[in-house]
Amino acid sequence: MATNAGTQPPAEQTLFVRKASGLVKGWSTGDGFRYSFFSTNIFLGIWGFLYAVFIPGGSVFWSIIITTLFVLLEVVVYSGLISAMPRAGGDYVWQSRVFHSSVGFIFGATGWWFILWLWIPIYAALCVNSFIKPILRILGAGGSADWLASKNGVFVASLATIALATYLVAVGMKTYARFQKWALWIGLAGCAVAAILLLVTTKAHFITAFNREALHLYGTKDAYAATIKNAGAGMPSSMFAGTFKETLKLIPVMAFWLLWPVWGATLYGEVRGAKDFRKNIYQMAGGLLAAVAIVIAFLFLVTKTMGWAFFESSANGYMGVLYAYIDPSKVVGGGDYLSPTAMTAWIVNNAAFQVILIAVISLLVFGWWGTVFLSSTRMIFASAFDRILPERVAKVTSGGVPVYALLLMAIPSIIVSAFYAYQPSFVQLTYDATLVIAAMFFVTGLAFMVMPWRAKAIWDNSALPKGKFLGIPWLAVVAAIYSLFMLGNLVAWFYDKTNVYGVGYKNKNSMIFMGILYVAAIVIWIVAWAVRKRQGMELEAVAKEIPVE
Amino acid sequence: MKVRLFFATDVHGSEVCWRKFINSAKHYEVDVLILGGDMTGKAIVPIVDEGAGRWQYTMQDVVHNMQGDDELVLNERLIADHGYYPIRMTHEQVQDLTAHPEKLDELFKREMRGTVERWVQFADERLAGTNVQCIVCPGNDDTDDIDEILATSKTITVGEGNVIDMAEGYQLVSSGWTNLTPWDTPREEDEPALKERILSVVAQATAPPDRLVLGLHAPPYDTQLDVAPKIDWESLTVKGQDTAHVGSSAVKEVIKEVQPLLSLHGHIHESRAAERLGRTLAINPGSSYVEGTLSGVVVDLDGKSKVKRYRLTMG
Repeated sequence: MATNAGTQPPAEQTLFVRKASGLVKGWSTGDGFRYSFFSTNIFLGIWGFLYAVFIPGGSVFWSIIITTLFVLLEVVVYSGLISAMPRAGGDYVWQSRVFHSSVGFIFGATGWWFILWLWIPIYAALCVNSFIKPILRILGAGGSADWLASKNGVFVASLATIALATYLVAVGMKTYARFQKWALWIGLAGCAVAAILLLVTTKAHFITAFNREALHLYGTKDAYAATIKNAGAGMPSSMFAGTFKETLKLIPVMAFWLLWPVWGATLYGEVRGAKDFRKNIYQMAGGLLAAVAIVIAFLFLVTKTMGWAFFESSANGYMGVLYAYIDPSKVVGGGDYLSPTAMTAWIVNNAAFQVILIAVISLLVFGWWGTVFLSSTRMIFASAFDRILPERVAKVTSGGVPVYALLLMAIPSIIVSAFYAYQPSFVQLTYDATLVIAAMFFVTGLAFMVMPWRAKAIWDNSALPKGKFLGIPWLAVVAAIYSLFMLGNLVAWFYDKTNVYGVGYKNKNSMIFMGILYVAAIVIWIVAWAVRKRQGMELEAVAKEIPVE
Repeated sequence: MKVRLFFATDVHGSEVCWRKFINSAKHYEVDVLILGGDMTGKAIVPIVDEGAGRWQYTMQDVVHNMQGDDELVLNERLIADHGYYPIRMTHEQVQDLTAHPEKLDELFKREMRGTVERWVQFADERLAGTNVQCIVCPGNDDTDDIDEILATSKTITVGEGNVIDMAEGYQLVSSGWTNLTPWDTPREEDEPALKERILSVVAQATAPPDRLVLGLHAPPYDTQLDVAPKIDWESLTVKGQDTAHVGSSAVKEVIKEVQPLLSLHGHIHESRAAERLGRTLAINPGSSYVEGTLSGVVVDLDGKSKVKRYRLTMG
């Protein structure tokens, strides 16, 4: 059964359908919007702003705008590919089809499978620092909050994330899908309350409230002024301030947050049947733009109520201690992350209100992070069906649990989480989590760019607009511009002379880590190719076009 | 001696997929071709005469305007490759068909029959003189008269309700009937009746289970082969991201009871997968006919009692 072959009859019928399986309306634009909105998670954005302190000469506001414009091109590219080839496996399948099985596997496996191991501790750190620790401190459990910041705490939080993600893929997705729906609206309601608080609160009132809570929770006197004094050196005074050159340098920082409205790419084939190019654009662009609008509104409110210099100083205080360039004794809480959500909740001098508001807003993250393994398992399945991975990998238990695919996610995630927790330098590899996926996105952009020629039959057969610009399909032009954008990011991350992003050629650990991922993917493909060859099976033949004539 | 099968399914009127199916015999060097059902298209696309050599049609919400015969023929081919039937007509004819469902039914029958007749001719041209065995079984979306047209072929064996001998003593038991769907399609029935129908064909087989292949359009219930978007049966709308197992419990019971060597399925395009049910390897290669891509599976039988290997293909 196809999923959206049928349409409602317009004034004059443009399609006559008969009684046949699959003639249904596609899933709602709202569902797709919600998935993209969650993925371009506003709290990933706020967490990502921490890294902007390393490029104080750039404008946060304008970098968001510029990055968003380029990511809209990404939305067009992915909408086009989903429309032309709506298959579970996403980038892996498209690259295999347009280029070669090896290309699809190397970039698909590293981007949708291996690097998700690193996202686990990043998710855990985001949740713990943004929500759980602030709640524990308000509840008077400062010791527990401190423990969560310890090496063991970080590792345990990562294990909890792995356990939840495994559980959801194994048995709970349907319930979780319902939870997501509620989590979005309740979380947004919490954000609305926070926005009203920031709107009606004067800066003077905020400073008083912040100082009160900092004294109560951390024992720091006059914390607002101290934060600016001790961690504000060199920080910008406005989110608009910055040179064009430095603002461009902030784009790879914003990519950490904004590249993900297409996160559902590997799932489209199986659950959505989304062949409608324009609807895909509406869904993903809608999710992206809504997230950007909310964050920009938040930044304006921060500027008005907290003061931009303070906001940047509080971020710099945390990063300074984490990266060991600020003495912990000089900043509030010894470098504890001053969660903007918590600081907003502190405006109201009532512990119960503070806890409830933080908990409610946290649903915007908890409604999203559970799906961290979902896309990966689909990529693993697709490569198993193509016989690159053993058949066993795609096996499910009688209860429907993809046990081997989950083990391939969970076990390495535990190892990577251990490194993240117990090797202080490993936390500096955060941008590898974006870089490796961005490399896959770059190759996917190239695949769409050459699709009219390399996969002509699929291109011709698709319902994509075939308009041309200077004789070249305009969608290929869009893909070329998008690919250049991604290439620019990759170059910025790799050839990072001043080590501002921390994952370039100057960071040996990053090079080794990524090298291991790519070499592992290459080795797996070559071994699979050799084994299948011996069995009389050509891996390349899986996607080889059958002659039509 | 090894026997190589190529199985594809659910081409739904796609001209390009049918041609690929027939040509896959040479491409994959197979002994037996099996099409698992749902040959016929689901929709007619009216190409409306706008006068002065201009024509217009709408597909997937995109309006296509054409000028002249060359563009018209090219677009008719694209629509046919997509699995729909392109019909040239006037605005008055569109309105007439809209107002008279019986005329629309007649038009569908004519197009379906015409297409299958052309396909049979293509198969006979390509497969004549080869040693390739070609078995085609209609599916739940195919009307009864399709079987009669297929039976006129010199190279195609009709699968529906038959036990078909293959090389090395293997036998194929085939049926395109499915469990009930929300669309009230031509070949569907409730689970008890379906089980009875399948078992009555299985009873005719003389090969032992380890040389028996089932070709059943409906996939077994509650497996990786039968996951589809959850649908509201009243409004025929998809229920968000929710998915459901929509395969047949009768098919699953038959597989578990008979334990054939191999079981080939289709019907659920999105659920491309392979799964073992006891000793049986069950496969649904899925369908990507809308893209003009033929999803299939190449299966090597070892000539004895085992599936030597299989690979899902996208050709």
